[in-house]
Amino acid sequence: MSADRRDWLEEVGELERRREMVAQMGGPEGVVRQHSQGKLTVRERLELLADPGSFREFMGLMGHGAYEAHELVKLTPKAAVDGFCRIDGRKVVVTGGDFTVRGGSGGSSHGGLGMELSASRRAYEWHVPYIRLLDAAGGSVRTFEELGRTYLPDGNSFTAPEVHLLRIVPVVSAVLGSVAGLPAVDACISHFNVMVKGTSQLFPGGPPVVKAALGYDVTKEELGGFEMHTTQSGVIDNLADSEEEALGMVRRFLSYLPSNVWEVAPRQETEDPPSRREEHLVSLIPRDRRRAYDGHKIINAVVDTGSFFEIAPRYGRARVTGLARMNGYPVGVMANNPMFGASTDVAAGEKVMRLVQLCDTFHLPIISFADEPGFMVGLESEKKGIERAGARMLITTVDSQMPWATIVVGQLYGVAGQCHHRPSGMFQRYAWPSANWGSMHIEGGVFAAYRREIEAAPDPEAKRAEIEGRLKALASPFRTAEATGQDIVDPRDTRPLLCEFVEEAQPILRAQLGPTAVPYRP
Amino acid sequence: MPEDPGKVVHSLLSGTVCDILVSPGSVISVGDEVIVVEAMKMEIPVEATAAGTVAEVLVTIGQRIAEGDRLLVLQ
Repeated sequence: MSADRRDWLEEVGELERRREMVAQMGGPEGVVRQHSQGKLTVRERLELLADPGSFREFMGLMGHGAYEAHELVKLTPKAAVDGFCRIDGRKVVVTGGDFTVRGGSGGSSHGGLGMELSASRRAYEWHVPYIRLLDAAGGSVRTFEELGRTYLPDGNSFTAPEVHLLRIVPVVSAVLGSVAGLPAVDACISHFNVMVKGTSQLFPGGPPVVKAALGYDVTKEELGGFEMHTTQSGVIDNLADSEEEALGMVRRFLSYLPSNVWEVAPRQETEDPPSRREEHLVSLIPRDRRRAYDGHKIINAVVDTGSFFEIAPRYGRARVTGLARMNGYPVGVMANNPMFGASTDVAAGEKVMRLVQLCDTFHLPIISFADEPGFMVGLESEKKGIERAGARMLITTVDSQMPWATIVVGQLYGVAGQCHHRPSGMFQRYAWPSANWGSMHIEGGVFAAYRREIEAAPDPEAKRAEIEGRLKALASPFRTAEATGQDIVDPRDTRPLLCEFVEEAQPILRAQLGPTAVPYRP
Repeated sequence: MPEDPGKVVHSLLSGTVCDILVSPGSVISVGDEVIVVEAMKMEIPVEATAAGTVAEVLVTIGQRIAEGDRLLVLQ
């Protein structure tokens, strides 16, 4: 018997043929339908997301083969495209739902003997960021017929690694279609998420499920569109006008973070000198305390020019939160926004907690520009549970460890004011001359504290005004500085001082590398 | 027909108009304070989101406005 000396080119041809079939996704009709809905296909999305030519697919031959006489005639790929790619040269894992295949719906059999590692497990083991491009409907009752039975909803078996990912690598979700069930919840098992105006919605169950359960009609857009989720519920951080813009935001968000918690965040070159003194900061805070200003203006004047990336700009607008750079070093940054009342309400507090945890997890210093009138008061605030929310914000603040700098630019009152301070770790506080503070506002507090004296006076109103005037004379920040050593600075020196702080924070951040004791909770 | 967003200034918040800083014919640039709205006991300046010459002021002092309401039309 002579040895078979043929090479393997025939099989390589088979490999190529299978790859071509998989590249067709759910077939031409599905692709046309995807485009007609104003959406890109998963492979087009990957081209926009990845550095050119860097996408390396894994599990790319997986799917359902149809055979005639042992000859493959059709290969329908699994309803997701998974792989490694690079973003700004750094490796990430991406999993993209393919709506053209069964509406992106499940049918996966992860966990069986011999199965290759899932995308999330690879991100976990490789210590690289994990990106979900969500365009999938979640579970389908059709599966029951295919299986001939129902099944226990044990999705946590394969979601658990995704939960653990939050502690070690950046996780980002882009919602790029109507997503329901687990994919809708996956959107929030993230450090950042984004949706596209008009083409993406999310809900645990869509309009037909709402109709069956609650008996009313509602559109997908009303139920889970961008108005609901980027302004009312806060489920989604950012809104993009197009998929291209959404994927650009994913890239930008990642640019501020290290690939994992054992690395320091990448520094970028900047043209903006750390010594830059911004003249208009000295007039930015109105002397008339009733006059509001836009908190974004302080942030944009202080951080490296053009480096501020805002997170959740449409939700909880009493606080501006985001990422930026100081002399090239990534930082978290936040500011009260008097344009929207500045008082921390439940929504603004959620943003604060998420930013603080993000910075703590990925070892970025945080900078807080405080003009805090206090926690939001009133019936609406009580209904939302402001005290419990406040307790969580306070705990998150105290539990954090990363270097923290607060600049008190205006008011600092009450327990919400207290949350701009951390009594441990590398903490630096500066005050502008426009600052004023106290455990509570003088105006509101005078009657409560001096009630008997005021009521007993022949002219109670004059007495109240007299006491108020007396207390206000004590409110100069310089009086506090005399007693406590609080540093008051020229607002124009803010950037140089903070650039120095961020530079000095670097060795501390390096010493804190690794997972934090308190896990990230989105 | 949809309005040219470059020709209309909208309110970014709800409140009561307490001051109007421009009138028809005023030339404004992006970022200029054009109207002051009172909300939550604060006076909040609304800045022009577009540049141009004011053709029409659509609100009056004391008027309640909602977020997204049209405030000014530019030429």
